[in-house]
Amino acid sequence: MRAHYGKVTAAFAMISALALSGCSAGGDSSGAEAGAEAAPCEASDGPVTLEFTTWVPGMDQVVELWNEANPDIQVTVQTGPNGNSGTYQNFFNQIQAGNAPDLGQIEYDALPNFRVQDGLENIAGCEGVADAQDQFVDWTWGQVTFGEEGSVYAVPQDSGPMAMYYRADLFEEAGIEVPTTWEEYAAAAEEIKAQGSYITNFPKTDVNWFAGMVWQNGGQWFANDGENWDVNLTSPESEEVATYWQDLLSEDLVSTLPSFSDEWNASFNTGQQWTWVSAVWGATTLSDGAPDTAGKWAVAPMPQWEDGGETAGNWGGSSTAVLKGSEHPAEAAKFALWLNTDPEALALANELGGLYPAAKSATELEAFAGGVDYYGGQKIYDVFAEASSNVNPDFTWGPTMTQTYTDVSDGFGAAIGGSGTLMDALETGQQKTIDSLKAQSIPVSE
Amino acid sequence: MTVISTPADAPKAPPATRKNRSSGAQRRAVALFIAPFALLFLAFYAVPIIYAIVQSLLTVERDGTFGPPRQVFGGLVQYEQVFQNTAFWESVGRVLLFGVVQVPIMLGLALLFALLLDSPLLKGKKFFRLAFFAPYAVPGVIAAIMWGFLYSPSLSPFGAVTSNVDFLGGNLVLWAIANIVTWVYVGYNMLIIYSSLLAIPTEIYEAARLDGASNLQIAWRIKIPLVIPAIILTAVFSIIGTLQLLAEPQTLRSFSSAINSTFTPNLAVYTTASVPNYNLAAAFSVVLALATFILSFVFLKSTQRKVTQ
Repeated sequence: MRAHYGKVTAAFAMISALALSGCSAGGDSSGAEAGAEAAPCEASDGPVTLEFTTWVPGMDQVVELWNEANPDIQVTVQTGPNGNSGTYQNFFNQIQAGNAPDLGQIEYDALPNFRVQDGLENIAGCEGVADAQDQFVDWTWGQVTFGEEGSVYAVPQDSGPMAMYYRADLFEEAGIEVPTTWEEYAAAAEEIKAQGSYITNFPKTDVNWFAGMVWQNGGQWFANDGENWDVNLTSPESEEVATYWQDLLSEDLVSTLPSFSDEWNASFNTGQQWTWVSAVWGATTLSDGAPDTAGKWAVAPMPQWEDGGETAGNWGGSSTAVLKGSEHPAEAAKFALWLNTDPEALALANELGGLYPAAKSATELEAFAGGVDYYGGQKIYDVFAEASSNVNPDFTWGPTMTQTYTDVSDGFGAAIGGSGTLMDALETGQQKTIDSLKAQSIPVSE
Repeated sequence: MTVISTPADAPKAPPATRKNRSSGAQRRAVALFIAPFALLFLAFYAVPIIYAIVQSLLTVERDGTFGPPRQVFGGLVQYEQVFQNTAFWESVGRVLLFGVVQVPIMLGLALLFALLLDSPLLKGKKFFRLAFFAPYAVPGVIAAIMWGFLYSPSLSPFGAVTSNVDFLGGNLVLWAIANIVTWVYVGYNMLIIYSSLLAIPTEIYEAARLDGASNLQIAWRIKIPLVIPAIILTAVFSIIGTLQLLAEPQTLRSFSSAINSTFTPNLAVYTTASVPNYNLAAAFSVVLALATFILSFVFLKSTQRKVTQ
């Protein structure tokens, strides 16, 4: 027993010595760039196995490419439900219990939540991570660093620039102009309703879609000055968006099906829906959910608030984060970088999972160069690449987005049911978010 | 541990050593037999409850916008939040309303089916017993998905009805869930009542028949009074089940826009835990458990008095 203790103490001494030397080495070489928080990121000895949880379909096959080339860093893939539908809750529970997977898929809007819960490893000090900045679309890098020096909390995976999917055939047949402004969109909604269909579906549960609309309109829901959080769900930009959709709802010009449900798929498949203002990843959602309408869809830029404007919103997009407690952050970071920059991996992830990579090199991929049959052969990714460059790079997500989404969504549901308006929902969401932040001792300015 | 025998025993028993030894062995045997239950009970019941109570007494502190959270003792802070949370109490009111309507209907049907199965008139008892019970074998989530499709306006095979009556809208969705729960649990409750009916000695029926009682009179005056304890048992189970509704509303959320994140108390707990605000979720759970306990206890007490009267 005594000898054993002796060994343990010796091991501890060695580890702390290593850690100390790692710290000082990091401090010497990179100076101001490596902040106090950037922990040393030492490679492990010998072969390691990493766990990676994701909900992108086909990711196991992408990881297979890595495993064949890297016998010493084997990655096992676990798939879960979409983040807010369960995977985040699993992550939070696992972080609390200290047995989280090494790597997890986390959407940009959930990163602050995970950081506030102390669930992310800062991988800025890991080899190659800081230098990778130039390889990613600027705003996605801003999301994973929180705009701080010496912090990198995840590697950008994909993004969701928004545009408008529309039924080119139906618009042409009916002689309705494809709307380019929101004003025209509302006018078209009336004409389409007169024909017995809907221009689109208002997604009560996709509050992040609504945030994308506010994003396009130049609004911000959260701000963080380093001391306090500022919650602003009811800015004039948000109000404009809320009032606009409330009018469409009140006049029954949009349907209110639960999005991504079978019912919702069926309504697209049977021509009940004429447009879907959605993100780039929606291209495969649509072609999978509405196979009977192949060849009849096209993609145009999002309708604009101002005539001749060129703004776009963003909906979704994920990062690959190294979760707190990983024993091999160096290897995990290495894998995350490969996964999101390697051309072969990106191409396969797009083919199987419909991802639109956050890596700048994505535009050179063959998959994005040609026309897509489902969209009548249109080169739809050109539209999204354009949209991506029009997304406001500074958009801050709050530290309890799951809660904000739930509360706003409950209010949206009530508004659809006839009690209150979308704006009321945002006001309630504002108050409940502030309460929720206070309940967790997160400083908030009022 | 010291073994203390009762003082009254000691002087009376001459072979004290033998008795002690045998009772020691007996204790060991008892301990051995209890151990599996006790360990499982501790691991999966007592410890989680204690953990939940401890969690509910903690609160989170942190420095700055991204400061790491620290859990500190917060006294009854979380409970204050629970009692201020209107959404939670609305959900409690909702399930109580649900229970007041649904539990009597379900148990009434269960009793009716049990009496029919027990009556000499019915043919094919084995078939009906299995048929009534079969829905209980369907997992709650699957049942909810199935009914979700049946209710849905455009996907339902009964589209003529569902496109005119919005079962999944705000007014009806609670009763749509009540229907699912009834469908699943009638057979289960029927079986409990039926087995209690089978335990009634047949001599009683013979005596009643000799006295000229009809089948209906036997059912009303003999069978039902004798199975009241079984009905009370099923009622307590149902009250507990109602307060803990989760799977059905959670599953139907993907079919209906009218079910919000705090539709039932358990759904509110689930939503709070996924924020994640474990401490408040724990406080919700403790309050819900207490409410369930009190309600079941009050129901048992009040019905016991009636039975003895």
